[in-house]
Amino acid sequence: MRGDRVDPREGRWQRVVSGFKRVVGMPDYPGYLLHMAERHPQCAPLSEREFFDAQLNARYGNGASRCC
Amino acid sequence: MNRILWVLVSLVGAAAWGVIALNRGETISAAWLVLAAVGTYLVGFRFYSRFLANKVFGLDGRATPAERLNNGRDYCPTTRWVLFGHHFAAIAGAGPLVGPVLAAQFGWLPSTIWIVFGVVLGGAVQDFVILFGSMRRDGKSLGQMAKDEIGPVTGLFAMIAILAIMIILLAVLALVVTNALKDSPWGIFSILCTIPIALGMGIWMRVIRPGKTIEATVAGIILLGLALVGGRYVALSPTLAPMFTHGGLTIAWGLMIYGFVASVLPVWLLLAPRDYLSTFMKIGTIVLLAVGILLVRPPLQMPALTRFIDGTGPVFAGKLFPFAFITIACGAISGFHALVSSGTTPKMIRRESDARLIGYGGMLTESFVAIMALCAACALDPGVYFSINAPLGALGGTVQSAAEQIRQWGFTVTPEQLTALARSVGEASLLGRVGGAPSLAVGMAHIFSGAFGANLMGLWYHFAIMFEALFILTTLDAGTRVGRFMLQEFLAHIWTPLGRTSWYPSNMLASGLVTGAWGYFLVQGVLDPLGGINSLWPLFGISNQLLAAVALCVGTTIIIKSGKARYAWVTLLPLAWLLAVTLTAGWQKIFAPDPRLGFLAHARATAGRLAAGNLDPAIGARLIWNDRLDAALAGVFMVIVVALVIASIREWLAVIRGRKPAVVKETPFVESAYAG
Repeated sequence: MRGDRVDPREGRWQRVVSGFKRVVGMPDYPGYLLHMAERHPQCAPLSEREFFDAQLNARYGNGASRCC
Repeated sequence: MNRILWVLVSLVGAAAWGVIALNRGETISAAWLVLAAVGTYLVGFRFYSRFLANKVFGLDGRATPAERLNNGRDYCPTTRWVLFGHHFAAIAGAGPLVGPVLAAQFGWLPSTIWIVFGVVLGGAVQDFVILFGSMRRDGKSLGQMAKDEIGPVTGLFAMIAILAIMIILLAVLALVVTNALKDSPWGIFSILCTIPIALGMGIWMRVIRPGKTIEATVAGIILLGLALVGGRYVALSPTLAPMFTHGGLTIAWGLMIYGFVASVLPVWLLLAPRDYLSTFMKIGTIVLLAVGILLVRPPLQMPALTRFIDGTGPVFAGKLFPFAFITIACGAISGFHALVSSGTTPKMIRRESDARLIGYGGMLTESFVAIMALCAACALDPGVYFSINAPLGALGGTVQSAAEQIRQWGFTVTPEQLTALARSVGEASLLGRVGGAPSLAVGMAHIFSGAFGANLMGLWYHFAIMFEALFILTTLDAGTRVGRFMLQEFLAHIWTPLGRTSWYPSNMLASGLVTGAWGYFLVQGVLDPLGGINSLWPLFGISNQLLAAVALCVGTTIIIKSGKARYAWVTLLPLAWLLAVTLTAGWQKIFAPDPRLGFLAHARATAGRLAAGNLDPAIGARLIWNDRLDAALAGVFMVIVVALVIASIREWLAVIRGRKPAVVKETPFVESAYAG
């Protein structure tokens, strides 16, 4: 879907970075932009700062569950 | 081809178990443990988890919550290996590292068997069934599922259980850190440095370059390395070292203040950056440890079984059954995982069939971490192991008295050896550093310096301490925050404004109460002449297994209500075992006549010493009060377990006898758009 327009090597690097971010639980802004462009092209996406705050709040806001 | 491969895997696993079984008194290599474990995991994953996925749960091609509710944020379809890593990082913490180290006092054999078979038949099943249940219910939490499927009272019990386990968990983990850091300027300096590093990262990621998490984390890791090296100079400096040398009580208060402040600060400032750092370190160090063990293949110096299976062990009191199974919770079966498996993970699963790798496979990986921790502890000379893990009260204060006591336990170690070891890791003394983390760090340093360069023992030791302390501190602030939210939910019933999580006074009050609760047990542990681990770790194990019992009750209910009662043994079997273990251990901790084991017997013994005038009255009264409190807590845990099981059994019988319809509260079926 995406690799058609982007340099394939850059696409792969992007995927590695976004995979790493998700493993660690970091907000993945490029992934979010991609999602918004694909699924909700009519909506304006959040800014990077807004997205960062929203993600942190979703992850830790009502208490992150984590193990011993 | 495939079949030949699986025959081969089974044979290798069986051969490794054969080597373990046939060894009589000779030292074997840790590699056999690793092989036996991995062989069993692979067979368990290939056959048992497939049976669970296909026959018991009936995973199919329906759309997951991530697909149906995709918002690109918390509900977000994620590639299964990425989600596997994410889930593993969320479930694996200090538990699987500490428990096996403590249980090593029984020898390596019982722990190995429990970790490997406990996970395949119990722990991984629990994680998988809860992940499955939550995934079919749009990512509902364990408490909500207990309420929906069993009944509102059970839901309330589950909530209380979760809050109680949280408080005991935080206290015991804080105690582990306290014991690792006391009188250790190197350790305290490097851990203190993690706070400004995390704050700096937080400001960088949000204010200076918003969203640039990776570059901030990389910078943070580099600074951590500098703090680690810097600690050595602090420890050697005659002016700086005393500034960073503190006793247990000061550190305990420091941790409480830290936990309180961290849990009311905004998450972006401290919690999130610390979480990234510790996750990164966690994955890196675990991989490093696996490589180290495979490269060094250390021989297991600890006997397969020690004489302490009779319950006289110095690390913690109690016989092999039930205490080996309470001490090792995480790594074999851990109720806490049910919270993660019903938290963020089910909202990110892309396809239903992925749940098998993530739920079952993720827990197998944690079990593997526990096996590695066990190898690291058992590769130590047993004399050294007991010199670190036995309480100072038993060892006496000098290397001479410790060596003599250890000789009486049947192991040999010289005073010179103990002094040399402490010096090689840059500490004044390692005697009586109970809690598991320091001996694990010595074991890891031993393996790392064997694999990646000797002469760096001190650096590796403090690296391992920093790694453990870093994610224990992350658990402290995240856990205090979780406890705060749960408490605010309760408090809202008393006075509604107290439930408002955006109202500062309410936040401060709830955070203060939660910190005070775990802080109370922490201080109790620090002042305990038996080292605190002896009383707190079993309480933690019991409460964790209690939560596992809640999870397995919910799992069984889901299975029975989906009309699969004939398969209910998959969760009933581990549940029955957990009940036997938890109730026996709880009973013994309360009523055993041995004062080292039973809380009430200890209170009576203390009262006797008090009456004879051998004890300061204030100290004696406090010890007696703490014993009674611990006994009451163990009693409450047991009552909750029994009440919960009775409520569940009534529900199961009602469904099986047809008095209640066998209907689960799942989200309706929607076909997935993702191709195979």
